[in-house]
Amino acid sequence: MYPFGKGLSRYVPLLLLMIPVALYVLLAVGPSMVTIVFSLTDATGIPGTSWKFIGFDNYKEFFTASNASDQVRAISRSLYFAFAVVLIQNAVALLIAIIVNKRLRGDVFYRATYFLPVVLGVTVSGLIWQMLFNPMGGPAQKLLNVFGTQSNFFGSYDIAFELIIFVQIWMYMGYSMTIFLAGLQAIPKDLYEAGYMDGARGWASFRHITFPMIAPAITVNILLSIIGGLQTFDIIYVLTGGKFETSTLAFNVFAAAFATTTSDFGRASAIAMIQFVFVFAFAIVAMLYFRKREVEL
Amino acid sequence: MRKHSVWLLLMAFVLVLSACSGGNGGNGGNGSGTPDGNSGSTNSSDGGEQVTLRVLHWINEPVNKYMEDVFIPQFEEKYPNVKIDYTTVPSDETYDQLMQTRVNANDADVVAYKSSFVGAPQEWSPGAADPLWKQWADAGLLADLTGEDFIANYNPVDVENAMTYDSKVYGVNMGKVSFTGLFYNKDIFAQYDLDVPTTWDEFMVVLNTLNDNGVTPIGFAGKEVWPINLAVQGLQATIHEDQLAYIKGLWTGETKFTDPAAIEVLEKAQIMMNYAQNGFMGTDYGTLPSLFAAGQVAMAADGTWNAATYQGLNPDLNLGYFPVPGSSDPADNANLAGKYDMTWMVVEKSSNKDWALTFLEEMSTRDNYTAFVNAAGFLPTQDVTVDSEFINDITPYLGEFILAWDQLAINRENVGQYADGSSPHAEFLKPAGPLETPQELADLSQKDWDAAAPK
Repeated sequence: MYPFGKGLSRYVPLLLLMIPVALYVLLAVGPSMVTIVFSLTDATGIPGTSWKFIGFDNYKEFFTASNASDQVRAISRSLYFAFAVVLIQNAVALLIAIIVNKRLRGDVFYRATYFLPVVLGVTVSGLIWQMLFNPMGGPAQKLLNVFGTQSNFFGSYDIAFELIIFVQIWMYMGYSMTIFLAGLQAIPKDLYEAGYMDGARGWASFRHITFPMIAPAITVNILLSIIGGLQTFDIIYVLTGGKFETSTLAFNVFAAAFATTTSDFGRASAIAMIQFVFVFAFAIVAMLYFRKREVEL
Repeated sequence: MRKHSVWLLLMAFVLVLSACSGGNGGNGGNGSGTPDGNSGSTNSSDGGEQVTLRVLHWINEPVNKYMEDVFIPQFEEKYPNVKIDYTTVPSDETYDQLMQTRVNANDADVVAYKSSFVGAPQEWSPGAADPLWKQWADAGLLADLTGEDFIANYNPVDVENAMTYDSKVYGVNMGKVSFTGLFYNKDIFAQYDLDVPTTWDEFMVVLNTLNDNGVTPIGFAGKEVWPINLAVQGLQATIHEDQLAYIKGLWTGETKFTDPAAIEVLEKAQIMMNYAQNGFMGTDYGTLPSLFAAGQVAMAADGTWNAATYQGLNPDLNLGYFPVPGSSDPADNANLAGKYDMTWMVVEKSSNKDWALTFLEEMSTRDNYTAFVNAAGFLPTQDVTVDSEFINDITPYLGEFILAWDQLAINRENVGQYADGSSPHAEFLKPAGPLETPQELADLSQKDWDAAAPK
């Protein structure tokens, strides 16, 4: 039954809907618009200082400045980061989701354990892995010493970035696993029974029943991984501070805005906008592709 | 039902309106406006009303301990209506971020700056960016302390060199530090009959003797990178004849990163890193003192500000400090270089400005200042006697206070990673980084520098 009667009351739902919309505009859309405006100015972000519109100079500077090659390397690292996270995180999460979806003794405990890193957050996770990879007598170093070698881990130009990717996957794998688990649990059992009658076993059952049925979960997970991967800066900040060739485009946005000895909000806003377009483009392409695949499957 | 709906709607509107008004009032300035100065604490500084004085500082154990255990309780006892909210965070980008956001929002009263007022563009550095302190001073965010009585407590030369910009005093510098030397364990040196080296050759003898006896010669904290470059700045201070002339020359093209002296600095930095502990690039700055205090390394590349931390970890530790002897001439290696360390600044639009000034006044009294420098291990900027064996020990190296490279260097905007920041980048050299030879690094630095030249 429609609960709001007739006349003016009919508009109550619309008016109520206006509240979250207004808050969303105020807290999310508004600041985003301001960022666009800032990116076209030479604003320092320091109250009381004058600023003026300078067109696309901040954008031009990003792509043509003498250190543009450093930015290009940061962008390529962002792509590498996102690609590795999408591929490995989702593969591992799917595998574990399939395992914990079985009726195992203590399955709830396993699910909770795999999800735990998500709850721990970036700082605690960073601390844990810094201790494990402490080059001064940490367990990982002791293990390497057994094989007659050693590493600087997060202080190494060779492996620091890969270790960060590993920690990122460790942190968020549980999140992807939960989404896959929800997808797996929504598959009707009779499909497997019907498949069994037709001779589908093991891999064939997974390939022709499980995989198509969890296609929406795969789409969601891949989209979240792409967006998350391309936007990650926090774990990089905690583990290496962007040193040792580990800075990404998202980290550079943070660094330009806050971690500098000169305040330049215009430039930081422009980098943020470039980052936004970058993430948006990849997310849209991925979404269109996987939606299409869902339909085909 | 209709009645309930109307009530619901009314409540929702009130909620939205209150959210809107909170947003407008709390944020103050929006970049183009002029904040009225009433943001932040609502407490008043006059009368007997309760006041919360917001003080920002980075983590520096000896100074934090003095502030928390001595000065703040003493201040709060003397002014019972004032409570000091002393916020400390790591000294890296975390502090830069905290400082920027809180000062820009007028959400602080007293702020510690990590150095003195250095780095402002000069006539020989066209196109260089303004440092943050200058941006703040120019924007009127820093209180002018010129007429305050307590400024007279400080040595005029230090007031001029460290606290003044554009003929106005904008800060109170709490002391000088040196960081171009190495801490050394006197007991280990005595065990192997080693003297403090005064030339590079003597230094090599020390390094080899320790190494041959299974003692790790030098401890480096490479994870944050900058602690490695403290020692490299020691090499620069002793190898370059005139650092400022060399830096100016980089701008004018008269000197290069590939000059023999600059290459020599990198070569010797590479040699020093080869004598560091295993895993030094993964060793963080907080771990280094414990390595040294436990006798796991004979020397440590660190600044004099950390002497109290070393001594606190092991009261029996017999430590000294000597300049990195980069030159073959003992006279070139006779002095330590350094910087003016922390500078207190008052936020001009602070609602507690009077109390912030009282805070600095109290800090500047002879007794409190002496206690502060003794705790901090700073070389004083007031004419007081320091009761520190360590400081007295290094006094012979402090004949005339010399500014280190990072206090003199002014960088070009958008310069690439091999020449950015304010110190050389020995961390790119093996065994720390990927580059094999100093010449490679010097070539890359010069290439980045040239590419960033003003058009």
